[in-house]
Amino acid sequence: MRTKTIAALFMIPAAFMILAVHSAQAHFGAIIPSDDIITQDDDKTLDVQVKFIHPMEMHYMEMAKPKQFGVLHDGKKTDLIGSLAAVKGKSPDQDQEFTFWSTGYQIRRPGDYTFYVAPAPYWEPAEDLFIVHYTKVCVNAFGLEEGWDQHVGLETEIIPFTRPYGLWTGNLFTGQVLLKGKPVPFAEVEIEYLNETPGNINIVVPPADPYVTQVVKADVNGVFSYAMPKAGWWGFSALNQAEWTLTHDGREKGVEIGAVYWVRTRDMK
Amino acid sequence: MKYVNCLLAVLFVVLSFSAAAVAHKVNLFAYAEEGTIFTESYFPDGRAVEGGKVLVYDSKDTLLLEGATDTEGLFNFDIPKGDDLKIVIDAGMGHKNSFTLKKAEVEAGK
Repeated sequence: MRTKTIAALFMIPAAFMILAVHSAQAHFGAIIPSDDIITQDDDKTLDVQVKFIHPMEMHYMEMAKPKQFGVLHDGKKTDLIGSLAAVKGKSPDQDQEFTFWSTGYQIRRPGDYTFYVAPAPYWEPAEDLFIVHYTKVCVNAFGLEEGWDQHVGLETEIIPFTRPYGLWTGNLFTGQVLLKGKPVPFAEVEIEYLNETPGNINIVVPPADPYVTQVVKADVNGVFSYAMPKAGWWGFSALNQAEWTLTHDGREKGVEIGAVYWVRTRDMK
Repeated sequence: MKYVNCLLAVLFVVLSFSAAAVAHKVNLFAYAEEGTIFTESYFPDGRAVEGGKVLVYDSKDTLLLEGATDTEGLFNFDIPKGDDLKIVIDAGMGHKNSFTLKKAEVEAGK
């Protein structure tokens, strides 16, 4: 309870300072589960939140009901779209609430659970395009570390080369960017820290714009790496232009498709 | 000098074994369904624990039954008691772990 109050006290001035920096505002699809590792002593019902946000600034954007939401476990995909409930949320400096989606998922078996979402296209007038971020996160259950490197088969997705749970602060996360199942040479990957990470009492205030979103490029095989300097949730987003278009106000508009992956780090202590 | 060498050798052997125990951490998962308790024992990479010893204790730590895992790491038995059940897998060489099936979960599987 006390940490919550402290966190709230920090958040308000921090949010204003972030605003003052006039940051780049990278959009990220997000799936944040209540835990990334389930053991026999844990609550076996995961709270899973699906959002469209600016992770560093803690800003929410209105999210329509996703087109697809499910979980991949033991080689089988289960559709969970019907379980999603609309919830409202906002950052301390937003004066309006926005819709995100939430579900409770009961873990029944050992192994890795990869949750994935294909959102409805989001119209972004500032960029004159639609945004579709295919997003994934992996939760491990009962010590069976199998399944995390399996492909979901989304239009674009990041395949983790680093086991995506049980990561320490400072660990390197390596992944491969796929578009239609093929590696994307020299893909650009944006990385942001989730300032809203539960238990994060030191809200990160970027000293200048380039600190908000970290940028790395993949190699010729679409493989990238980034070392995560703080405990909490980290989002990795590889953006590509879709070959297809959508119509807005009678005009054809481009679609930015993102492959997004989330991992959590913890401090060594 | 000989004594020191001997000590180092012992230390090396001990350390090697403890490292192996961590890298091959053994797990047991259990659930109750239609009167039976199903257990599966595995290493983190998915390999089954074959011929591992399974010991079942009640909440007072009384041994209720024991058995061995098959080639798929499975061992099933009839629900022995409506109680918290501590199920231990012992694969030898310090490869040991346990899983507690709560009374409510046992009752729900009757």
